Amino acid sequence: MNNLEKLLTIDHISKAYGAVQALKSVSFDLFRGEIVALVGDNGAGKSTLVKILSGLIQPTSGNLIFKGRPVHFRTPADALAYGIETVYQHLALVEQLDVADNVYLGRETYRWGAVGRWLGVLDRRHMREQTATALSQLHIKIPAPTLPVSSMSGGQRQAVAIGRAVTWGRELLILDEPTAALGVEETEQVLQMIEKLRDQQGISMLIISHNMQDVYRIADRIVVLRQGRHVATINKPDTSPQEIVAYITGAKEAQVAPV
Amino acid sequence: MSASATGLPTTRRTSPGEFFAQYGIVLVLVVLVVSMTILSPILREGQQLFLTPRNLIQVLLQAAINAIIAVGMTYVITSGGIDLSVGSIVALCGVLSAMVMRDVNTFNLFGLTFSLDGPIGAVMGFGVAVGVGTLCGFANGLLITRLNLSPFIATLGTMGIFRGIALVISEGRSIYGFDQEFKNFFAGRIPINETLELPIAVIIAILIAIVFWFFLTQTRLGKYTIAIGGSEETARVAGISVQRHKVGLYALCGFLTGIAGALLLARLNSGDPTFGGLFELNAIAAVVMGGTRLSGGQGSISGTIVGALIISLVQNAMNIFNVPSYWQQVVIGTVIVFAVVLDQQRRRASRY
Repeated sequence: MNNLEKLLTIDHISKAYGAVQALKSVSFDLFRGEIVALVGDNGAGKSTLVKILSGLIQPTSGNLIFKGRPVHFRTPADALAYGIETVYQHLALVEQLDVADNVYLGRETYRWGAVGRWLGVLDRRHMREQTATALSQLHIKIPAPTLPVSSMSGGQRQAVAIGRAVTWGRELLILDEPTAALGVEETEQVLQMIEKLRDQQGISMLIISHNMQDVYRIADRIVVLRQGRHVATINKPDTSPQEIVAYITGAKEAQVAPV
Repeated sequence: MSASATGLPTTRRTSPGEFFAQYGIVLVLVVLVVSMTILSPILREGQQLFLTPRNLIQVLLQAAINAIIAVGMTYVITSGGIDLSVGSIVALCGVLSAMVMRDVNTFNLFGLTFSLDGPIGAVMGFGVAVGVGTLCGFANGLLITRLNLSPFIATLGTMGIFRGIALVISEGRSIYGFDQEFKNFFAGRIPINETLELPIAVIIAILIAIVFWFFLTQTRLGKYTIAIGGSEETARVAGISVQRHKVGLYALCGFLTGIAGALLLARLNSGDPTFGGLFELNAIAAVVMGGTRLSGGQGSISGTIVGALIISLVQNAMNIFNVPSYWQQVVIGTVIVFAVVLDQQRRRASRY
């Protein structure tokens, strides 16, 4: 992996909630254009790490180094500004808004010049056109950008949510259980989309999943957390789903020495 | 029917249930007007007391103050919140505005003395009412976002606090004897033709409705309000400063309530710490009747205006038919319950 460019270094990140240590000095690197799966049992610290990477919470100690520079994400807007997009399992879209309003949520474009910008007058026509173009480039099929999200299927929603993230996430996409709520066919569509994004657009992705089959299929590397500790980083060719499960459950001892 | 960029129709066929859910409230308004027009002469010995320009303007005037508060309430409820303190804000604004206009008559600057009677006093009185209203709303917003209180609890508390402050500073008495220019303007009427005069309060209410309809449907303010009401966490992870936006919404509700307070002060010609009782009930009733969801994520200013008109019509009808005013509260309360039932049916209808 040394020939690849380092995108994000997670450097001894710890997070404590009172006496509870959710993350204990976790360190690993993310390289450009690779898919890393973040796996672990419930309470292993996956969501805590994702929240730190997306700016929802701040680590108790440790550093994030993005493209060689230390960064601090105080709010989600900070992480978004660096081109890091997170698709949360349950928080991806606002049901009451339509597709275009969701894709442009927090990134609205305005009409009526300076006055319109000051008043926040939305340029819905422009946002709808851009949304239709962006989603069709990603081969995401939805009937119309004016369709309310509440009337879409789970697969369509996930596709739109990922499409939204890809539209804005120039650097890193974090996907939280991207297939957990989907049926077999929809899961396949989303997995193909993820592979295509890596192969054609070279986007780095960090994927949190419980599904070992999915993980084993799409990931280049697998990072295992157990009880807040980073216990293993494995290249896919060197491992098997059984070995990953063994690391998750603790049947196999930590490969990474505690620091 | 408009065609989307992908060439597929964007509108679905609406079922009768959905149609009623969407436009039922307008139907209620029409039925009320028609039945009042027919019933009024029958029950009152051939006199048409309802369908006269004078009475209809009275209906609009009665609706105006509630409508202005209800517009602010529409934003708050759309964002998933509630403001129970609006009635107390009306009282506090009225008392403070009246006291300032009564007691602050001159003003010294660089050795020069300016008289604060007349139009300047009226502007000052209006500014105090609006400023106090905005500050009260701001305080509500801070309590909800900084102390992480539920909007219901926070504004239930400030409902008591604001009313209490109004009682303390007025010593429980009405404030009279303030600027007549204030009353003349804000309780004034603008002639449309020889027989018809439109109250200033109605004109202000119409302007506010149009401006804030525009903001709710066409701007970032409205979109973020809907997004926060729909899913606060989703809005947060999308990079929206949810806390700041929510504080702004309660301040907006307070601002509009301050305007309503100034109009009430002018109309009643006194500031009284007991004014504004049950205003929150009427405002919430208008909002909910108009189809804004109490659970947040969806709001309609036009619906709220129709709701405020219905409440005003019901009150007017009861006055015409000499129903004791105590009964009006029973009727308004019933209307709220009815509106919530309608809202639940709407929700069922939209789920398919």
